Amino acid sequence: MDNKDKIFWTGLSPDEAREALVNKDKSMRDKQMTLKDAVSRFIKDGDNVGIGGFVNIRQPIAITHEMVRHGFKDLTLSFQSAGMAPDILGGAMMIRPEHFSIKRIELAYWAHEAYGLSPVWRYLAENGLVEFEDWSNYNMSARFKAGAMGLPFIPTRGPLGGDICKTSRTKIVDCPFTGRPIALLPASNPNVAILHVQAADKFGNCIIRGTDATCPELAMAAAHTIVTCEQLVSHDLVVSQPKDVSIPFAAVDAVVKVPFGAYPGACRRHYYFNGDHIREFHSLVAPACKGGSMDGLKAWYDKYIFGVAEFEDYVEMFQSRKLIADQAAESFNCERLA
Amino acid sequence: MTDSIEGMSPSKDYTAQEIIVVAGAKVLEDNKIVFVGTGLPMVASLLAKRTHAPGLIPVFEAGAVGPALIHGLPLSVGDSKTFTGASYVKGLNAAFELTQRGFADFGFIGGAEVDMYGNLNSTMIGDFPAGYQRPKVRLPGSGGASDMAASCERTILIVPHDKKKFNEKLNYITSPGHLDGTPNARYKAGMQGKGPYRLISTKGIFDFDEKTSRMRILYTFPGETVQSIQDATGFELLVSPNVSEFTTPTVEEIRLIREEIDPAGVFVKRAAK
Repeated sequence: MDNKDKIFWTGLSPDEAREALVNKDKSMRDKQMTLKDAVSRFIKDGDNVGIGGFVNIRQPIAITHEMVRHGFKDLTLSFQSAGMAPDILGGAMMIRPEHFSIKRIELAYWAHEAYGLSPVWRYLAENGLVEFEDWSNYNMSARFKAGAMGLPFIPTRGPLGGDICKTSRTKIVDCPFTGRPIALLPASNPNVAILHVQAADKFGNCIIRGTDATCPELAMAAAHTIVTCEQLVSHDLVVSQPKDVSIPFAAVDAVVKVPFGAYPGACRRHYYFNGDHIREFHSLVAPACKGGSMDGLKAWYDKYIFGVAEFEDYVEMFQSRKLIADQAAESFNCERLA
Repeated sequence: MTDSIEGMSPSKDYTAQEIIVVAGAKVLEDNKIVFVGTGLPMVASLLAKRTHAPGLIPVFEAGAVGPALIHGLPLSVGDSKTFTGASYVKGLNAAFELTQRGFADFGFIGGAEVDMYGNLNSTMIGDFPAGYQRPKVRLPGSGGASDMAASCERTILIVPHDKKKFNEKLNYITSPGHLDGTPNARYKAGMQGKGPYRLISTKGIFDFDEKTSRMRILYTFPGETVQSIQDATGFELLVSPNVSEFTTPTVEEIRLIREEIDPAGVFVKRAAK
């Protein structure tokens, strides 16, 4: 499909994104709420949802569980590289498409690096169940950045020379200053960004450890942002080092403390990957890809998502010995005194 | 540490992945910045740092620049292990911007398919463009590979050797190499950098002919010949006038990979016993 000449916006157009922010209550108020309230208040059917983190690093897994429990239709998902977050959402569409559906995906990469390919992505794409637009990591990151900068597009080198130019909304123009070809990418302003961070205060000022991924750009680009955090700390502590704040309160709409909110992915300073759990999930998706039964996958969702009230109940199902081991593995990665 | 004389002797039981890692390490130069993708490139970069290139500076696309990697092999390019001891850490935009600016001397990329000009596919297998939205096999997608292809000064490609993977025509060009091989093709397309510098397969190391930009056999791995490599390739390879046999990996190089760099066999799989 050649999208070259089609101009359309998924999520908000640059003008709509500006308008949304102008009309937003930007006061510094207490934004703590339950995850259930945050998801039902700020995500709607048909929304473009920007997913934070990078592959299985600091992905907003707890938020995806709540989205699945709630049920949504015709979502667009936007991310650079992701693993378990779209797996959880896409797997829900595999087993209960009437309850949860994804219409479109704008992405650079959906797989798991050391933990292999995503059978969910293969199933949805190879069966023609979603439309998608391929980009690269820098393309998606730059698109969020353009959205965050209040600009309609951003020039990059990234997609030049390859087929990404043909299958995306990339426009190649001659640079008005150098005369050489340059790629222009449309900004991405998602309706809502879903993010997990290490620490936040009740107003939504966020502190990220390890890679920022593209979370700050995504939060600034989106019309609404839902943040879950490992640690909810006092405003005084957060602003004791103002440059530590990578997402300012005004960009955030909901703050929810959810320890292990990126699990079974990793979260720097808190826990390392639970690779066994990632593999277990994939082993239940794989039979469906070969035309087999989805019963195992359904049972997984019934046990871990539909059968529980909130993410804390899911975390409780892991043996504390395993959770402590995953915390210990991470403390080895960044050794420090408590 | 293995006894130095014994350590320098040729390994008798190295695997196809292990020779890729050893070759990848040897292609890297000391004191250069290398943009490291996930998997075997990480292992190769760590091996280079432990051997001839202690001053090699890895950059990971999630943002970490120059980490010491003292806590072992990262499982992800965004892994916590890439951040401890890093000199500079922001996020993806910053990592790719410094690459676009020209800070990355080398980029290490892979793909499911490669053509004679070093163009790579990691997007889809199937009918393109008609079947793009419903591919026969959907691959993960570019990740950062197409950005590295467009902006690193020189790229090193890793593709396991197989007639199905070395193709005349790709299903999809994810990461452009020398494009159609015409003079200045990359520059004319608006890209930066010199493009594919070496390709490392399970059968040898290849460079790209200066005039035609076509893939050329530079080293044959032990047990392979120019003919055996050509037989396993879906297009006609050129042969470098300097073609020679690649030195068998040493006992010490293999020990470093197995015991120190990837002891759990995360990316370098152990041979079946």
